[in-house]
Amino acid sequence: MTSHRFGRAAALAVLLAPLAAQAGDASKAISLSASLCASCHGEDGNSAVPLFPKLAGQQAVYLLRELKDYKSGKRTSEVMQPIVSGLSDDDLANLAAFYAAQKPAPGTVTDPSLLSVGKNLYLKGNDANGIPTCESCHEVDGSGGGKFPRVAGQNVEYSLEQFRLYAAGKRTNGARVMKTIAERMTEQETRAVAEYMASMP
Amino acid sequence: MNPTLTALASMTLAATLSLTALHANAQQTPRAKGIESAGYVWNTPDPDLNRALDYKASAKRGKVAYKICKGCHLPDGTGKADALYPQLAGQHTTVMLKQMMDIRAGRRDNPKMAPFVGDWIVTAEELADISAYLKSLPPPVNNAKGDGASLAQGKALYEKDCAVCHGKSGEGDGKKFYPMVANQHYGYLLRETRESRDQGRRNASPEMVKVLKGYTDADVAAVSDYMSRLSVAKK
Repeated sequence: MTSHRFGRAAALAVLLAPLAAQAGDASKAISLSASLCASCHGEDGNSAVPLFPKLAGQQAVYLLRELKDYKSGKRTSEVMQPIVSGLSDDDLANLAAFYAAQKPAPGTVTDPSLLSVGKNLYLKGNDANGIPTCESCHEVDGSGGGKFPRVAGQNVEYSLEQFRLYAAGKRTNGARVMKTIAERMTEQETRAVAEYMASMP
Repeated sequence: MNPTLTALASMTLAATLSLTALHANAQQTPRAKGIESAGYVWNTPDPDLNRALDYKASAKRGKVAYKICKGCHLPDGTGKADALYPQLAGQHTTVMLKQMMDIRAGRRDNPKMAPFVGDWIVTAEELADISAYLKSLPPPVNNAKGDGASLAQGKALYEKDCAVCHGKSGEGDGKKFYPMVANQHYGYLLRETRESRDQGRRNASPEMVKVLKGYTDADVAAVSDYMSRLSVAKK
């Protein structure tokens, strides 16, 4: 991305910052995000690496909780923990506000044949196995809300990895409901839902 | 190695490790003594339940907390007849709290539901808020009904054996933790009545079980059909 385009994204972030739920100041995270986060998550939070989550347009409340949990070790990650350990709480809030204000790029579907199964599970759940709908918390359009993350357009690989971590009891934060749900999903269901979420604009 | 590559390598390793552990540690469903145990007393004091009952609940807060329930019980609380998810709109708060606490403690077996009422998911206070919200919703009139073949038999049984506690109109009695059976789905009533008779519903009232002992499957179906047609909904 050119510095000119990045400048526009940053300007947008500043403009939208007051809309973010947290007290973070997006404009104060511009250089921090560029130096610390951009190599994996993209300059505007649209990570191009399938295993790294997209952060652009993510819920600020959720982002801040995840950052704080990485810092405290409540959410374990050998990668993220050392990166955020040196940051102040203000830095974390500013980063959350910055990424929440970025425009999410469309997701990448890797297996369109799974979309109809994924859509059905996302909207209707699976009664036989006691799997609730996803839209109940993550909303019909996948935008999430507050502590419930946006899932629309998310990278398939990242979503799949999270389902696996939840089911294995290794995603140690925010796992209250998702652990049970992930345990009940078949491998095909997790793939299908991950593809459907990626397809959502 | 640059940071991106290091990150990629360790995350791929994590993915591989976690795959092998998939489904390895499913939550254990709780189990406590119920009607099958000697000395069972129905509705014994439960600290969790008492906390919820003493709490000044708010339907407004409950609407927010209900998010994690509505993925199965639906936004209007009416459940799913074909999946045997009960309808809850307008149900007595005491009844819902007792049942949820019984499921939480393992006095009522419900492996599907149990993890969602765990104390690591919802507090007693949140359950009270959720119950207040559900109580405020209108019971459905389009709940699933039986085939209508034995309604006279069902009515006779209901009025002889059930109405004394569950009310002539199926309204139940919140003060006594007796559920409203009106506007409930037939399939759910059928299953729970049968399970109560057969002591599979382990938190059932021994008085009710005694009454149901003499019921044939046809009697259970008839009385369930009759109950599904009772209504407390405002006309």
